[in-house]
Amino acid sequence: MTGVYEGLTVIELADRRNQWAGKLLSDGGARVIQVEPIAGSPGRWCGPFADDKPDPDLCIDYWWNNTGKQSAAVDVAQPAGRDLLKQLLAKADVFLESTPPGTLANLGLGYDAAASNRNLIYASLTDFGQDGPWRDYVANDVAHLALGGQMASSGYSDPKETPIGGKGHHAWHMGCAFMLHGITAALIERMGSGEGQFIDVSIHDACAIGTEAAVPQWMYYGSTMYRQTGMHANPKRQPPLQLPTADGKYMIAVMQNFGRPVWEKLIKWMDEKGVTGELHDPKYQDEAFRMSEYRTGNVIRDAIARLIAASDGEECFHRAQSYNISWGLVHAAEENYDVAHYRQRDYWRSIEHPRIGRAIPYPRGPFACDALGIEPRGRAPNLGEHTQHVLAHDLGMSADAIMALRTSGVVR
Amino acid sequence: MNTTSTARPGVLSGVRVLDFTWKTVGPWSTRLLTHYGAEVIHVERAGGWDDHRYNATPSIVTDEPKVAQTLGMKKVYSDPQFNTHRDESAAATERPKLYAAPYFNTLHNGKLAISLNTKSPEGLKIVERLIGMCDALVENFSAEVLPSWGLTWERLHAINPRLVYMSTSGFGHTGDWKTYRSYGPTAAAQSGLSLASGLPGKPPAGWGFSYLDVMGGWIGGLSLIQGLLQAKKTGEGCYIDYSVTEGAMSMLGTYMLDYQVNGRRTRRPDFPPGNRAVFPALAPHNTYRCAGRDRNDQDWWIFIACETQEQFEALCSVMEQPGLVLDTKFATNEARVTNQAELDQIISNWTRPRRRYDIMRKCQAVGIIAAVVQNAEDRVEYDPQLQHREVFPVIENPEVGGAFSYERYPVRLSRTPATVQTRAPVLAEHNQYVFGELLQMSEAEINSLRERGVI
Repeated sequence: MTGVYEGLTVIELADRRNQWAGKLLSDGGARVIQVEPIAGSPGRWCGPFADDKPDPDLCIDYWWNNTGKQSAAVDVAQPAGRDLLKQLLAKADVFLESTPPGTLANLGLGYDAAASNRNLIYASLTDFGQDGPWRDYVANDVAHLALGGQMASSGYSDPKETPIGGKGHHAWHMGCAFMLHGITAALIERMGSGEGQFIDVSIHDACAIGTEAAVPQWMYYGSTMYRQTGMHANPKRQPPLQLPTADGKYMIAVMQNFGRPVWEKLIKWMDEKGVTGELHDPKYQDEAFRMSEYRTGNVIRDAIARLIAASDGEECFHRAQSYNISWGLVHAAEENYDVAHYRQRDYWRSIEHPRIGRAIPYPRGPFACDALGIEPRGRAPNLGEHTQHVLAHDLGMSADAIMALRTSGVVR
Repeated sequence: MNTTSTARPGVLSGVRVLDFTWKTVGPWSTRLLTHYGAEVIHVERAGGWDDHRYNATPSIVTDEPKVAQTLGMKKVYSDPQFNTHRDESAAATERPKLYAAPYFNTLHNGKLAISLNTKSPEGLKIVERLIGMCDALVENFSAEVLPSWGLTWERLHAINPRLVYMSTSGFGHTGDWKTYRSYGPTAAAQSGLSLASGLPGKPPAGWGFSYLDVMGGWIGGLSLIQGLLQAKKTGEGCYIDYSVTEGAMSMLGTYMLDYQVNGRRTRRPDFPPGNRAVFPALAPHNTYRCAGRDRNDQDWWIFIACETQEQFEALCSVMEQPGLVLDTKFATNEARVTNQAELDQIISNWTRPRRRYDIMRKCQAVGIIAAVVQNAEDRVEYDPQLQHREVFPVIENPEVGGAFSYERYPVRLSRTPATVQTRAPVLAEHNQYVFGELLQMSEAEINSLRERGVI
């Protein structure tokens, strides 16, 4: 199988922030060597674990974020370990790291030192970037959602409720997305110039521009947003759009199309459920009136709420969609395994996991595209699984030399 | 209007993109390429315009916006809590007409704009000629639209074998749901993202910044850069069928695998856990109310987390409650997680009368994770880090009568910087350049097309 990153060697210094970026490089065909501490990447210890047994080789979050990578456990705090990393960087195409700014420079592994490999793309994904007054502040994923503005726009219409930062490490995802842009653009540029470069991506910068209309709304109108339950934040309070179904689920029920064909089908559906109310009044025959009533009034909105309350979620979703109405049903992630559509699109990749004695279906990735070939190509490595191979094969070390490093605790 | 060369510096200088996207998610993906110097030609239907130029939301519609008041970026780092009135003196007295709504200006900066009637045979002929001159084609229509123009992938590939074609859609261009319609929140709901945000026992809180309209575009933009890399390596174009929902599911892999391995569902009573941490379980890890309210009368909040014992000990010191760390209920992380409701109340009592940025500074000074829940005003006006990194640059646009603030593209490349190139285009601003210079049409041809409503 080909892949857009085929032929590249990536050295990834293990961290929870950057591992998803490394995963997509690996999924795209790059050889990604994750250099981990002797005790394992912090990504191995967060859980959830298979059978909830803490074990660095059974962490499911690690499995997901490290598909197809190789693991070399090296203690870079020791000079001998540092030297190994330096040797690896001398041959690499990409170095992906997330240490606090200044850390690697102090170890003699900053960009200036590594740039003797003129090919090297040195990619630093950090909380606040390489400079600025908050450079040394500490953060985790949710802290970024707070500072970046995601939380200020997410939560509940009840003003007493807390803003919410959604689960799943999405600040890190946002930072990784931009880092991948940068790495890929630098690869294009390198084809012409033969030279790598340094890439500085701040997760805070990335999040700060990721709040849709909130920033332009402030810049141009001086207004800020109200949080609204399950829907867009808005400078004005709006009626609810996340509506309960008969079977205890929620529909996201935005109406954008008030044309006649859609309207007639919607009314027929409401008639079936006996919830049409006054919408048979002739004034609703006028599309402009419908649109304006929906925008400013409650009659159409209330009828839609009654319709959804009288229908099951799946019925609502498919029937609305068959009428070209873009309603969505709030699914649980795991419920997508039951959806035929994704199977038809060849979305699942079966990855063997010897430790639990079976294969697991993994999501393919965002793109259906054979030429890019971005999809999981194998399970995540066990801790130190490839240390021997990397030292012997990549660095040409003898078995004795490797044993000596093991004995002195430089590698595992 | 602009008839001069539109060449711009950057890694993708010389790359030309034909952009049929509209709304939000598609335009984001092509905008990213402009920062690298690509020439992105945004096509709007003749006689109409992109929704975001005149967004129907009343708060957005106006051709007399307030002038951006961030000019000069001289605001000091102070808590606006006790200083809520804005410095109106900074506002220019003149109010220039804006050529596009703010969000359009944000989503389309750096692009060219043409108008074209793709429903006419002549219009389609022009589309085909442009495809022959472009490196990439992007659209976020429903699956049936481009084939209905005769532009199947086979046809596109035949016209231009090096073309990278990326379609952005809610559910992809194959499968039972290929005709289903979606916008960001639809995809967030279906993927499982919405359900991963909220308080236990309450309805989903969702993603009020429409995460997938934003991140969906960033991932789509990534696929375009990847496609261009692959085309440059192989000389062959490719078709990228990007489903925003599948992209979202690709960020939920941990939950899916947890279900496969442990049978644990995200649809369960104690999930989502609000702002608390489950994997790993940590306490404290939550939002806490601070003094004051924003201009919409919503309370101000700070997020505080301790991931290490040292951080918790430091927090007890900052709160001047050193005894807490000796209390068996809070002495270890495990104990704190068990008793986190009580711990959250103690921390909340401490933060409630205090100013949010003061708390953040004090905590960060001793290495505690503390983060103000910042809204757009906070970020644009008061965040010293974003000011230092010039995340909201101001660009002069004398030809449309104003200077506007933009969101920076947050990738800093040392040798080949990616930048905000210029403002968004006015409607059909580049018809002359594209039809006259690129396609070499005569003045008479162009006028004739215009009279017949083709452009």
